[in-house]
Amino acid sequence: MQVPSGVRRAFRLPASSGQITRDLEDEVAFHVAMRVQSLERAGRSHDDAIAQAQRKFGDVQDLHDYCVALEVPHMQRAQARERLSSIAQDLRFALRQMRRSPAFALIASLTLALGVGATTAIFSVVNGVVLKPLPFSDPQQLVQLWGIDANGRHLHFADPTFDHLLAENHTLSAAAEYNTGDMSFSTNGTATRVTAAGVSKEFFRVLNVRPELGRSFAPEDQQKGSPMVILISHGLWMRLFGGSESVIGTIIKSGETPITIIGVLPAGKEFPAGTDAWYPREPFGEATSYTAHNWNVIARVKDGVTTEAATRDVSMVLRRLHAAVGDATWTLDGTAIPLRDQIIGSVKVLLLLILGASAVLLLIACANVANLLIARMAVRESEIAVRVAIGAGRGRIAQQLLIETSLLAAVGCLGGMVIAAAGMKMLLVLRPALIPRVGELSLDWRVLVFAVVISAATAVALALVAAWRGTAGDLRAALSQSQRTQGGGGASYRVRGSLVVVQLAMTVVLLIGAGLLARSFVGLMSIDPGFRTHGMVVAGTVFDEPRDTNYIGRRSVYYQQLAERALAIPGVTSVGISDAPPFSNGSSNGEFLVLDNAGIKLAPSALEGMFNDKARTGYATYRTATGGYFKAMGIPVLSGRVFDATDRAGGPEVAVINAALAHKRWPNGDAMGKVIEFGNIDGDLTPMTIVGIVGDTREQDLAADPLPAAYVDFDQRPGNSNEMFVIMAASNEAGAIAAARRAFPQVRADVPMRFLTVEDIIGRSVDSQRFMLLLVGIFGAVALLLATLGVYSVISYLVAQRGREISIRVALGASAPQIVHLVLKQGVALSLVGAIIGGVAALAATRVLKRLLYQVSPTDPIAFATVLVVLCGVALVASYVPARRAAAFEPMDVLRGG
Amino acid sequence: MPRDASDLLHGTLDVLVLKTLSWGAMHGYAIAEWIEHRGGGHLVIVDAALYKALHRLEESGAITSEWGLSDNKRRAKYYSLTTRGRARLRSESETWKRYALAVGRIIESS
Repeated sequence: MQVPSGVRRAFRLPASSGQITRDLEDEVAFHVAMRVQSLERAGRSHDDAIAQAQRKFGDVQDLHDYCVALEVPHMQRAQARERLSSIAQDLRFALRQMRRSPAFALIASLTLALGVGATTAIFSVVNGVVLKPLPFSDPQQLVQLWGIDANGRHLHFADPTFDHLLAENHTLSAAAEYNTGDMSFSTNGTATRVTAAGVSKEFFRVLNVRPELGRSFAPEDQQKGSPMVILISHGLWMRLFGGSESVIGTIIKSGETPITIIGVLPAGKEFPAGTDAWYPREPFGEATSYTAHNWNVIARVKDGVTTEAATRDVSMVLRRLHAAVGDATWTLDGTAIPLRDQIIGSVKVLLLLILGASAVLLLIACANVANLLIARMAVRESEIAVRVAIGAGRGRIAQQLLIETSLLAAVGCLGGMVIAAAGMKMLLVLRPALIPRVGELSLDWRVLVFAVVISAATAVALALVAAWRGTAGDLRAALSQSQRTQGGGGASYRVRGSLVVVQLAMTVVLLIGAGLLARSFVGLMSIDPGFRTHGMVVAGTVFDEPRDTNYIGRRSVYYQQLAERALAIPGVTSVGISDAPPFSNGSSNGEFLVLDNAGIKLAPSALEGMFNDKARTGYATYRTATGGYFKAMGIPVLSGRVFDATDRAGGPEVAVINAALAHKRWPNGDAMGKVIEFGNIDGDLTPMTIVGIVGDTREQDLAADPLPAAYVDFDQRPGNSNEMFVIMAASNEAGAIAAARRAFPQVRADVPMRFLTVEDIIGRSVDSQRFMLLLVGIFGAVALLLATLGVYSVISYLVAQRGREISIRVALGASAPQIVHLVLKQGVALSLVGAIIGGVAALAATRVLKRLLYQVSPTDPIAFATVLVVLCGVALVASYVPARRAAAFEPMDVLRGG
Repeated sequence: MPRDASDLLHGTLDVLVLKTLSWGAMHGYAIAEWIEHRGGGHLVIVDAALYKALHRLEESGAITSEWGLSDNKRRAKYYSLTTRGRARLRSESETWKRYALAVGRIIESS
């Protein structure tokens, strides 16, 4: 620059805005220099010329600010354009890379898709079940109320207890009783079995639900003797009435009782879940009994009242009542549980466990992809070295890697959503009874955000790993050595080896979890439930007849005819009937009195007093059964007899008890001939004589010990369930079901029925265990597959990397088995380290499974040993393939650089 | 900076610069000389205002610039007219001619 230094100094601008300032400074300096020259030519002195040129030029600072203000947005746009174009360029490059190695792209995206898919599917369940609020307004105000007895058990409410609660509480804005059961529902002569809830008048006010069509219950609907009315669910409305508005006012029949439909509830607002119809509750006929614990209670707390405050309040009312009425209430205390906790209960822990397992799977998938990426980085080290050499900064390289991994993660995320959607469908098909609110599951925005976030996090993590590996070490060395295979190899092997060890360890944890669950499941399924399970068919029949004095007689006739039809079915050898076979949820339970004499029918007032005498009471489940029931179920008669044709209505009343009750109540073996009375359950108040003792059966829960049970005669006593079960021992289950489906409606078409096998029923009781086992098992299998791939790829890499060394060994006379041994040693070392770390981690982790295990310790040595052996075996096989390849090396090929 | 000169020439200066550049690429000093010479000494331009106009015009895409060497081998920034600048010169010249005519008529009639 030939501008005189004085001129430059005079016009030096503040050093800001870089390029603009420098350019402008040059431009101004040139201008002034020209002006000064011209003035000097005109005869001015140098200093004078500079001063005048300066004056003539004006405010340089103002010009500078003006130009900066003009150009900054312009420059920013240019920079953004440049950044975008560099991203587009990197994206094109990444796509080219993917096209060039489609196998890598496919495996990496699939692996990520598996991890993201599994985690997203499970998260969507957690979201639907645990995170989403209940579909009622102010759901946090809804609570379920319970009484608590001396043993800490939760009790349902008896009517008078509920009345006290309503009158004396200070924290509830509304409370309602409800109870669900099966009901026959006939329209135009076709009977359907529906789940119906009898509810007290405040029920819909507690939930704050209004019918979408028709009206809710009016006070007069609740009065005794008023015409029966019913509200139906949106689902039932669609199913039976095709969504027609003329359904309001339609009269349906339940047995012989006509009922008018007055309203339809909006979809998704069913409570309890799965209820098809709601009717004004009718008391069971013992509205004055404090021990008829028959009602569920839901309540809404007042604004600003906490659950704890409600619990204190309810407890106070119940304790006061207990003090006033005495032991007869059983209810010592009370509690309020948030309705959401009540519904999701223990499932929450289960789901969070499964979510944890799926997160482990995702980590394993990430480790695998990281492993693959590092393998590729080793190959691409020279490419990256070139990029660095021509001036790409680490940031630029990192950007490119991030774009490459983001592309993988994006494909993985999309694939994962597909897998998640399919997985959700599978869950819905399994539809395990243990998952409440399963109908509300959906892939909503929270799930999508979740999938995108974990995919993005995965992309960043992978890019960091790749960038660290890709730009670490001496790049110039990598560049110069790029023709050889060992550029940065040692360090790379260590990193990849560690990733595989982590993978193996996590796989061990998942597999041991699956192993424990499997052992527990097998143990559970091999428990003898005390009755025959194979070749057993159950027909559930809803006999909805008015319970008048002729009820038992009408019912006996009907079921006698059913039994005859059943016995006529080829292959059916025996038939029995009960209101509460095991796993049916039909049984009632309660206290009985032991009386001195069968002949006397005591007054209710006399019985009330006797309940306070512990020497005179016992506790048992209460079931109605025919004599044929025990034979059909394969329940052995241990002493005495079961019901037979001599036991008739009006004759001497008899009872059969199980061994558990005999041992518990009469440990001296003198149960036979004792007289008992279940007045507070059957309302009959007629004493029964114990005429037989039968074997124990497990109820509801295979893992729980058999409960004391008393059976009453089907022809002498009503049961407590609307649903009666016809049990058939049949050689061909499917054939018997098909035949019964045809034959039974010929007796009466208006009794709705469902047919099941006993195996199905028992199978359902272990739904939660099966579900957990299935999911953890699938995760474990996928993890094992990924870990195997990991071991295989690392050992293959090792073999390639040590090709020269191995060739030299072969050239020096090492035998093939020696080479195989050399390579296998590496695989074994990796799997042993992984197995040991995994085993220790599993010892810590599987404790959380404890509650789900049956007779298996969380540290069960068989499960641990099996998994460790399987894992090491699989790792050995995965290393054997590359080992064989190494043994087949032709030394000269390798040494020549082949 | 003397605002009056700047204000007087605002807008006018842009047209003058465009017109000057229609003769060919020039650096800032040459443009200033050219305008002052052609204006017969009646138009005195504050140099800073000229450069503001140049940068303004460049930003709007009417002219473009390039660093080059001056006649005396100094590094200088040369401005030249773009297609867009040529079109703008045509339309603004018309406007200016009509404007000047109208102003002249009013002044002479009074």
